[in-house]
Amino acid sequence: MSELTDKELIEELKKRFDQNKKALAEVQHLNEELKEVNKKLEDSEALKSHFLSNITNEIINPFSSILGLAKNIMSLKKADWKKVQSMVSMIYHEAFNLDFQLRNIFVAAKIEAGEIYPEVLNVDIRQTIKSVIDAFNYELDKKELNVDYKFDIEPVRGDIYYFKTDPEKIKLIITNHLSNAIKYSHKGGNIYIHVWEENENLHISVEDEGEGISKENQRIIFDRFKKLDSGIDSIHRGHGLGLSINKGLLDLLDGDIDIATEEGKGSKFTITIPEAKSNISGFAFDDNEMFFGKDAPEEGESEEETF
Amino acid sequence: MIPEKSHFLYPAALFAPREPHIINTILGSCVAVCFWDPTMNIGGMAHYMLPLWNGEGLASPKYGNIAIERLMDKLLSFGSKKYNIKAKIFGGGEVIDTHAPYFYIGQRNIEIAEKMLGDMKIPIIASSTGGKMGRKLIFNTYTGEVRQRYVKRQNL
Repeated sequence: MSELTDKELIEELKKRFDQNKKALAEVQHLNEELKEVNKKLEDSEALKSHFLSNITNEIINPFSSILGLAKNIMSLKKADWKKVQSMVSMIYHEAFNLDFQLRNIFVAAKIEAGEIYPEVLNVDIRQTIKSVIDAFNYELDKKELNVDYKFDIEPVRGDIYYFKTDPEKIKLIITNHLSNAIKYSHKGGNIYIHVWEENENLHISVEDEGEGISKENQRIIFDRFKKLDSGIDSIHRGHGLGLSINKGLLDLLDGDIDIATEEGKGSKFTITIPEAKSNISGFAFDDNEMFFGKDAPEEGESEEETF
Repeated sequence: MIPEKSHFLYPAALFAPREPHIINTILGSCVAVCFWDPTMNIGGMAHYMLPLWNGEGLASPKYGNIAIERLMDKLLSFGSKKYNIKAKIFGGGEVIDTHAPYFYIGQRNIEIAEKMLGDMKIPIIASSTGGKMGRKLIFNTYTGEVRQRYVKRQNL
């Protein structure tokens, strides 16, 4: 073995020090991450118990309103029948909200149980989104909000643009975004919904002119049960599940979500979804196939694969 | 026996039916854990994408630690005894080229399965993990048999 010159020795030492430094930095980084994750898990557990009391309000309040209104209608005198229409529209509104909340909760439960699957159909995206907007007419009127819906896709053939995806899931995703946009909008503001296609992906953006989301909050909005307090109404309804559900559903559809937001100016959520391919549920047999039988491999045998 | 019913398992989902099924799935860096109880002829599969839930989003079986626990609970709820359950694990290929050890998702997915099954004392009676290829699997929950084919990356 040849001797190292001093210079080579120093070079070598330097290199090793650098490596050590790098390793140390990585460990420190991992440690930080670990701390953060730990904190998050603790929070999540605490929030879960909050969630129960929270959800009670979410379900019981609309129900009480519905019951109360129905009772009022029953006891109305014939002369006051004109009031029925507005009361029924309030009942409809409360029931709509209840239905929306329950849907979210059931979907969240299904995602957490791993029992949710895409059910792909040809979807008329323009109409699907239109129906979501229409369903919020009551809320939009109440806050005097204006929805600017821009659909930027020309159908290739025929009059209707179809996209292969799961209609129910898309609907819930848009409903959650629109509901949030309404919740965090100032009275009399605008909400922009824009749909376009790029590289065979469907893009849908929902933009509001509300409060926006701070840097810090952007990191937690997808966590379950998290609600931001910095809203316009003093009390925000909701269970803090909407965005975490959207994330889960987009995972299922192979999609993605992007946020652009500035505090005080508003937020813009853009979702991107690839067109669904047909499912592959089986395949032909050939020699590329391996077989893992029912028994454990015997001692001494290759423990890898039983052909 | 070849079950009549079949089910395609999506990522982040798990499936453990009471009746015999053929379960199909396709894996890249994801890992599929198959549990099988030979005494009851039932089984199930979980297909997870990341090793550990970090509190982000919902606590779904997208994450290995949650998926494996849920799958076990499911079989136990059918009356399986833990000491009868056997496991087979597949997938965890590095289908995306990367040089940062940080991003060895496939490897980390395999490790969490091995670690958890070791802690649970569930024997891994067959496995095909790692490598650079994707995999297609067919799992017969009645016989516990698994057929596997390698697939090229672009087919994933």
